[in-house]
Amino acid sequence: MISLVAVQKSFDGKRKVTALEQIDLQVARGEMLSIVGPSGSGKSTLLNLIGGLDRPTSGEIRIDGRTIASLSDDDLTRLRRDKIGFIFQFFNLLPSLNCLENVALPLHLKGMPRQQTTARARELLELVQLGHRLDHQPDELSGGERQRVAIARALAFDPPVLLADEPTGNLDSHTGADILRLIRDLHERLGATVLIVTHDKGVAESCPRMVTLHDGRIVGDVRR
Amino acid sequence: MILLRLISWPYARKHMVRWLLTIGGIVLGVALLVGMYTANQSVLEAFNRTVEHIAGKTQLQVSAGDGGFPEEALERAESDPDVRAAAPVIEQVVDSGIKGQGKLLILAVDMTGDRSLRDYDLEGGDQDVIDDPLVFLAQPDSLILTRDFAARNGLGSGSKLALKTMEGDKQFTVRGILRSGGMSSAFGGNLAIMDIYAAEKVFGMGRRFDRIDIGLKEGVSLEQGQASLRKVLGPGYEVDPPSGRGEHFESLMSVYEMTMNVASLFALFIGTFIIYNSFSIAVTQRRSEIGILRALGATRGQIRTLFLGESAVAGLVGSAVGIGFGLLMAQGLTASTNAFMEGVMGVSANADHMLVRPWLLVTAAAVGVITSMIAAFLPARNAARVDPVKALQKGQYQVLSAGENRRRRIAALTAIAIAAACLALGRSHVIFYSGYLLAVIAMLLLTPSLSLYLSRALRGPLKLVRPVEGALAADSLIQAPRRTSATVAALMLSLALVIALGGLARASYTDIKEWMDTTMNPDFFITTSEVISSRTYRFPDIMTDGLRQIPGIAEVQPVRIVRINFGGNPVMLVATDSTSIARRTRGRKVTAGDFDEMYRDVAAQKGIIIADNLAQLQKLKLGQMMEIATPSGVLRQPVAGILKDYSNQLGTFFIDRALYRKLWKDDTVDVFRVYLSPRASRSEVKGRILDRFTHERRLFVLSNTDVRSYVLKVTDQWFAMTYLQLFVAVLVAILGIVNTLTVSITDRRRELGVLRAVGGLRSQIRHTIWMEAVAIGVIGLTLGVAAGAVNLYYQLTVSRESFAGISLDYTFPYGIVAVLIPVILGAAFGSALFPAETAVRSSLVEALEYE
Repeated sequence: MISLVAVQKSFDGKRKVTALEQIDLQVARGEMLSIVGPSGSGKSTLLNLIGGLDRPTSGEIRIDGRTIASLSDDDLTRLRRDKIGFIFQFFNLLPSLNCLENVALPLHLKGMPRQQTTARARELLELVQLGHRLDHQPDELSGGERQRVAIARALAFDPPVLLADEPTGNLDSHTGADILRLIRDLHERLGATVLIVTHDKGVAESCPRMVTLHDGRIVGDVRR
Repeated sequence: MILLRLISWPYARKHMVRWLLTIGGIVLGVALLVGMYTANQSVLEAFNRTVEHIAGKTQLQVSAGDGGFPEEALERAESDPDVRAAAPVIEQVVDSGIKGQGKLLILAVDMTGDRSLRDYDLEGGDQDVIDDPLVFLAQPDSLILTRDFAARNGLGSGSKLALKTMEGDKQFTVRGILRSGGMSSAFGGNLAIMDIYAAEKVFGMGRRFDRIDIGLKEGVSLEQGQASLRKVLGPGYEVDPPSGRGEHFESLMSVYEMTMNVASLFALFIGTFIIYNSFSIAVTQRRSEIGILRALGATRGQIRTLFLGESAVAGLVGSAVGIGFGLLMAQGLTASTNAFMEGVMGVSANADHMLVRPWLLVTAAAVGVITSMIAAFLPARNAARVDPVKALQKGQYQVLSAGENRRRRIAALTAIAIAAACLALGRSHVIFYSGYLLAVIAMLLLTPSLSLYLSRALRGPLKLVRPVEGALAADSLIQAPRRTSATVAALMLSLALVIALGGLARASYTDIKEWMDTTMNPDFFITTSEVISSRTYRFPDIMTDGLRQIPGIAEVQPVRIVRINFGGNPVMLVATDSTSIARRTRGRKVTAGDFDEMYRDVAAQKGIIIADNLAQLQKLKLGQMMEIATPSGVLRQPVAGILKDYSNQLGTFFIDRALYRKLWKDDTVDVFRVYLSPRASRSEVKGRILDRFTHERRLFVLSNTDVRSYVLKVTDQWFAMTYLQLFVAVLVAILGIVNTLTVSITDRRRELGVLRAVGGLRSQIRHTIWMEAVAIGVIGLTLGVAAGAVNLYYQLTVSRESFAGISLDYTFPYGIVAVLIPVILGAAFGSALFPAETAVRSSLVEALEYE
């Protein structure tokens, strides 16, 4: 499902900083893995590259058989929209839109008819147990609820890949556990490939596979 | 200072484009201030320099408006025991006739007595010409030129120079060259000295002088001399020091200057909003930075000083750039001010270099800095009040509280109520202007609330166009009214000014056309110059009969036009055959009195007709007794009628020609209004006029169309100033929108990043930003049109009460609004292009991490 071959990412500034070096990683369809490592090890950079938010300096990334490097910006956007769902640490919901509108956003962006969009958004919010919060604005929700809305949004097109960057990092341990349960449940029900970047040992160990990064290199890849 | 370097400079460098846009308003305002003032001062200084160089030892000057006075006044002046020397002068500006050399100032003097007041420092060999005045007198074709002018044109003693005279082109002989310096530098060196009696013929003045220059006896003070000359000459004469001419010139220029100052002040005023907007956003965006500084021990005062310091630096940079642009602008403006003063006011200065006053530059810089600091005061205060704990929490944006909004609305409604009361109450200028100011304040106070309502109202229509992008664009405006409202306010004020000026211009054009239809209706205007307003040369009265005898001419109306001093202003006096004029201009708009009756009174020399702008400006009413100083004493007559008239900005009197001839002892003519017989051929009659007169005098036969297009051209020249204001207004509006969008995009960087991350295509992001920009344009337009409608009412009142004195009907300029809609929406859309591209091309990862 996801294939990285000799991927390198460096940033040019006053000094050249290499964030990722010679990354080779294969993730099978339906697999759930965590990516761990200390701060600055390149976890988020790796997730951004897999998610098509950024492009590698060298190497090849393939998602569902498509090479990211050859895609135009708009094609990459379409790939993100149709194949990848994002879950961010700070939720990244649009504060001016209500829950339903936030979840419907990617559907609208694809140009789906209004009625279909609303029905699908409602269905997704019910899936994350937020059917009673459709008209609420993000600032009227708790942290856990906001993350549920973000998860519902990420599932808009039943993407085969779900990428979560510190999904529990901004939540208390109880709510964090709830969210993790939800992600795992969705993984099982929908069969999506899930990659979770985390600092949380508990979250990492709950995944069947754990990839460890250190100074931009994979130093561990454990399957349970 | 250290905080400015450590904290402010990196922020400014990171947001360089925004900072440049922010100071744009200051740049524009300061540039206009410096440019216009420098141009005006250069022209004024050139005029004063000419007056001063020509004055020599002259202490007082006797004049009687620009019509001059009979020669006999010289004897009366000479008879004054306080007078040591009295030298008659004719001063006229003519075309030099040499390509690229422009105008030539002719100073015509009587060489027998003039040297007691002026030094003629001639080059060797030429001295005999003036040492024996009879040589000069005996040869009326003599000219003395300046070294500069002679050298530029390869002329020397004995050279010939052709000048246009009332008797056609005539060859003059250069009989002396003035050494450089002193008088030689008057009028940029384009000066020629001529015998005064020769000049009377050259200009067709009859036996009249323009002025008498006076030298007083030793021990006689200026005040004493002035008093005794006034006594000897009577009330029709003005006796002032030479500097008084500069003051007169300045008063003519003041109307022009005021219009330009309004443009400059306006730009600064709008610039204030732009700076306020930018600083408000900067404070919001830098809350965490402020929080950290506060947590590290910075006091509220230090935070406030930091932001005020930034605004001072922005003001200083804006002022410096503005001064540079202003000085560049001044070069072009000096020429146009010169042209305006010559074309519209009939006075020439020939400013040949720019006068840069250091105090002006310092003042302009101070104005720029102070404006910037005033604009940043409230945001700086808000910055100082930031709570460090809250500021350090991520994602907490400052929003306009409901309480704040309510207070503003209450204040606005109170201001509206007081403004309405001011309008209803009285005629006092103080009350009126207070009401006007309150109306503007009310508009500004209501802007945030109205912007919010309109943004909400626009959400639906925008969503209809594009569901997601439309909603996001509208939500962005709804969510941050503070970000939008300053720009909308700036746009609203700009448009309010544009609409008011446009309305004024439209009403004026309509009125001027109507006035021309009824007043400027002769078939031909026979003038001494290509332009009807020029009064350098004059026709003798005898020509009237000559014209009447030409077959095909039904009626000839000789007209004399002079400027006289009335109520401290140079007012125009038009002397015509009133019975004939009344018959031919029956449709004229009457403001007060009965048309036939007023002309009957004027023909019987029992009354004076005045223009409505004179009545307004000098508070004159029908029947009111007026006193007009003439060379033969004071003319006391009542106002017989008030007519709508556009001959002169400062007002016009209409009297009968017979009365003018009697009191001013002047029978010369400036213009003949000629009506043809019903079946006469225009071209044939024109040919006959030219055949009859061209061999003996200089004359131009202008058709009705020629004169009408000239009047419209002068009107356009006048409105060119208002077009400048329109340009400034639109430019400022664009600056405001670009600034807001740049700020908005920075502000929403993460939001736009999320949009892209969840599947928003580049085109969709662009559409969102474009729609937001157009929505700002729509809101600004809506409020601007409403504010413009109110502003037009006030401007019409200002124009009537304090400025031109002309009453114009309230006509809303729909045409201008129709033009403004695409201009502003186009400008809004154009403003969005760069910010939109910046948004779609920026790093997605950075955008998602942006705080």
